[in-house]
Amino acid sequence: MAKSFFPYAYTKEILPNGLTVYVIPMESPGLVAYYSVVRTGSRDEYEPGKSGFAHFFEHMMFRGTKKYPGPVYDSLITGIGADANAYTTDDYTAYHLNFAKDDLEQVIDVESDRFQNLSYAEREFQTEAGAVYGEYRKSVTNPFALLNEKVQDVAYDVHTYKHTTMGFEADIKRMPEGYAYSKSFYQRYYRPDNVVLLIAGDVAASTTLPLVRKYYGGWTKGYVPPVLGTEPAQTAERSAEVSYPGKTLPVLDVAFKGDAFDPGNRAYVAAVLLGELAFGETSDLYKRLYIQEQKVDILDAGIPANRDTPLFEIVARIKNEADLDAVREAIYATLREYQTTPVDARRLGDLKRRQRYQFLMGLDTPDRVAGGLARFAAITGGIEVVEKLYSAIDTVTPEEVRAAATRYFIPERRTVVVLRGSRQ
Amino acid sequence: MKTLSVVCLALGLMPAVMIGGEPVDTRTFVLLPVKNDPTVSFRLWFKVGSQNDPSGKEGLAAITGQMLADASTMSNTYAHIIDLLYPLAADYAASVSTEMTVIAGRVHKDNLAAYYPLLMDAILAPAFTQEDLDRIKSQALNELETTLRYASDEELGKAVLYNAVFAGTPYGHIVTGTADGVKSITLDDVKTFYKTHYTRDNVVPGVGGGYDQGLIDRLAGDLSTLPTGVPRVVPVPQVPATEGFHVTIVDKDAPATAISMGFPINVLRGSREWYALAVANSWLGEHRNASSHLYQVIREERGLNYGDHSYIENFPRGGMRQMPPQNVARRKQLFEIWIRPVPLEAGHFALRAALREFKQVAHNGLTENAFTLTRSFLKNYVLHYAPTTMQRLGYALDDRFYGITGSHLEMFRKVMGEITREEVNAAIRTHWQYGSMQIAVITKDGATFRDALVADTPSPITYKTAKPESVLNEDKEIAAFPLQVKKENVKVVPVGEVLQR
Repeated sequence: MAKSFFPYAYTKEILPNGLTVYVIPMESPGLVAYYSVVRTGSRDEYEPGKSGFAHFFEHMMFRGTKKYPGPVYDSLITGIGADANAYTTDDYTAYHLNFAKDDLEQVIDVESDRFQNLSYAEREFQTEAGAVYGEYRKSVTNPFALLNEKVQDVAYDVHTYKHTTMGFEADIKRMPEGYAYSKSFYQRYYRPDNVVLLIAGDVAASTTLPLVRKYYGGWTKGYVPPVLGTEPAQTAERSAEVSYPGKTLPVLDVAFKGDAFDPGNRAYVAAVLLGELAFGETSDLYKRLYIQEQKVDILDAGIPANRDTPLFEIVARIKNEADLDAVREAIYATLREYQTTPVDARRLGDLKRRQRYQFLMGLDTPDRVAGGLARFAAITGGIEVVEKLYSAIDTVTPEEVRAAATRYFIPERRTVVVLRGSRQ
Repeated sequence: MKTLSVVCLALGLMPAVMIGGEPVDTRTFVLLPVKNDPTVSFRLWFKVGSQNDPSGKEGLAAITGQMLADASTMSNTYAHIIDLLYPLAADYAASVSTEMTVIAGRVHKDNLAAYYPLLMDAILAPAFTQEDLDRIKSQALNELETTLRYASDEELGKAVLYNAVFAGTPYGHIVTGTADGVKSITLDDVKTFYKTHYTRDNVVPGVGGGYDQGLIDRLAGDLSTLPTGVPRVVPVPQVPATEGFHVTIVDKDAPATAISMGFPINVLRGSREWYALAVANSWLGEHRNASSHLYQVIREERGLNYGDHSYIENFPRGGMRQMPPQNVARRKQLFEIWIRPVPLEAGHFALRAALREFKQVAHNGLTENAFTLTRSFLKNYVLHYAPTTMQRLGYALDDRFYGITGSHLEMFRKVMGEITREEVNAAIRTHWQYGSMQIAVITKDGATFRDALVADTPSPITYKTAKPESVLNEDKEIAAFPLQVKKENVKVVPVGEVLQR
């Protein structure tokens, strides 16, 4: 029998309305993690002027229902001492709570209610828009936020990955006008056939699933997928400069269009390892630029797991602007080297071993288990893919790494953005 | 002796008892065995922190910690250490705070044999090379001169607040130090600091998870090779009482206004009063939680910012974490209010709103409903403070720091079942006085802000969208709420000058 990477046995059920539920019992005396993963994020914001709306809507989900109005919801969650929050990404939105196991039914009750019966007045909607603008404001002084915004804008023409999850500032400013749209957003995306529940910790499937059926069973299906345009093939390298209104070390971002998450795509799986191999802390380039020559104080690279084609990004922060061209050339030389020479098998083996142990050691609390699975559940609809991914990673060869470098690292996939401070 | 130990370490042949001194007494260890835990957690606590930085060398404790954990040893270069740790999926890091330095790491039991000698090497045989020092100093300088000054106004606000509250005391500079201090640090400074503070008499080893007794004996032997010596104890900071509000305005081209304010308090965890004050504080400003009253007033009702919170213990990097950190314990704590960035035109208003709420709770205490709900919240919420062995080990070390017999977290839950509203309101009366505070404001056009503050100019705000009558009426009171700030108690500092010396 093949060895298993994911260490916990779990139970899966798909309700007749399409809601997918995983119950993952694990040793965690008295504690439960409860993740509602909505398979909608900033990727789904295809209508013009609506960038940032998925994130804004996440905030509205805390404004209550007729049965449990906002303040009542808040005091129920406060009263049971739950650690509750939510976040939005490009591909999904997750609502998560950690709580004592005796409160499971209470949590299922209030969570299922807000997913089915959310209700808020226009005035509350408009006030919340102010809080979202505040969230934008707290991050806007971060140069990486500005850089990220530019890279995505330049790299994509049509696809919604063109904007960040936070959204364009102009759209955030106009959010208070979007009350009617928010109702349609809820109707189309907050449907059981677009949601995965992950319940991990001190729970049993035999007692949890009947509660899920009872409280979520009446939720009607009706997910309407977004109308996403097809990103045309890039034909030439793109580049841009960003001026940061303050003082910062210059940052170089070299991005290549990659492939969507697919453990069956050998090039994709090899690319997952490529960032670490070529630019990670054991790479020759890192040792040279970071430790010996000390030309950079940040060097990082990798490709995220996404439903559609994300960017494989290499990011370097350069200590002395005069070194910028040399650093860029060193990055390109490394890319060429990986296209011509298969990586050392021992280094590849070390990385696989590291990934395996990191994965295992990261699964030590219910929150980390459910939280760690959330993205996989969101982009594939289930968590079975974790096993497939780690099995695939385990069999990647040096030649496949070389082939992936050849596939992805070409000028026709490349976007290069340099950020500089306006004040030195 | 050191050379021999390095060779032994490199070969993984370390005997249980080293040549030389007696093993460190294992009764001083903080141990947290967890039989089914497939990993082992280490937290080696040295009783040293930024309070021990020599004058003019602010940042030395932090840099020395990094020179152990992120640098070469006598047996391996830093680059090679990274290679060796890599397949083990483990590392170690130094966490330096005001009073504590903890070298911490976690490893799967499968990899313990390979990991342990590397961890010991880092602590017992650092190489202290110029190359490593240059790299680490340049990171610290970038943090002070670029990141704090320009990339995160809320972190800057906190730094300015801490430095102002504890000015003139060993707590009077942030852990990263000052730009001038960091620049002046030499290899000799690091070596001397290490010799003085990293002694066998100044370490409390913490180990948790699925370890066996052999590991503990071995650790006791290995740490015995550190030099002996008890460093001079830094006195607890004595902060002279401030009269009225003292304001530091950092002037910069800011897109929004960030505010932090607070004053020192004389209460530490472990005492019943602390738990009483924790109830009051949770109600007023529970960290990143909608149950915070300040959050309700400033964010939920008015939409002015992302969050508003308060603290009765040191809580570094609040924007990056949900739960309280471990091993940042101190003998002197600060009461702190954190107003996340608000629109520039609402800065004065938000400051008034927060101070008005604080004044009300300081005078009136908690209502019965607020008390009951908050107590019930905390009783379960503390369960989330330490779900992992590593976190529980951190709390166990903090218990040792504060002289708590038993467990702070267990005591917290127990006291929440017993405490009365009278106790909470008595703690408020003792520890929260309205009227005297240090305030840090990061904003654009600081001189204008100062003038409005000193003149107590009304600060009405308008909303782009409709608000309930009750909010608008309360706004009128907030906008005219007198702060009575004296001109001589306000200073405006250009951003380029903060954290310099």
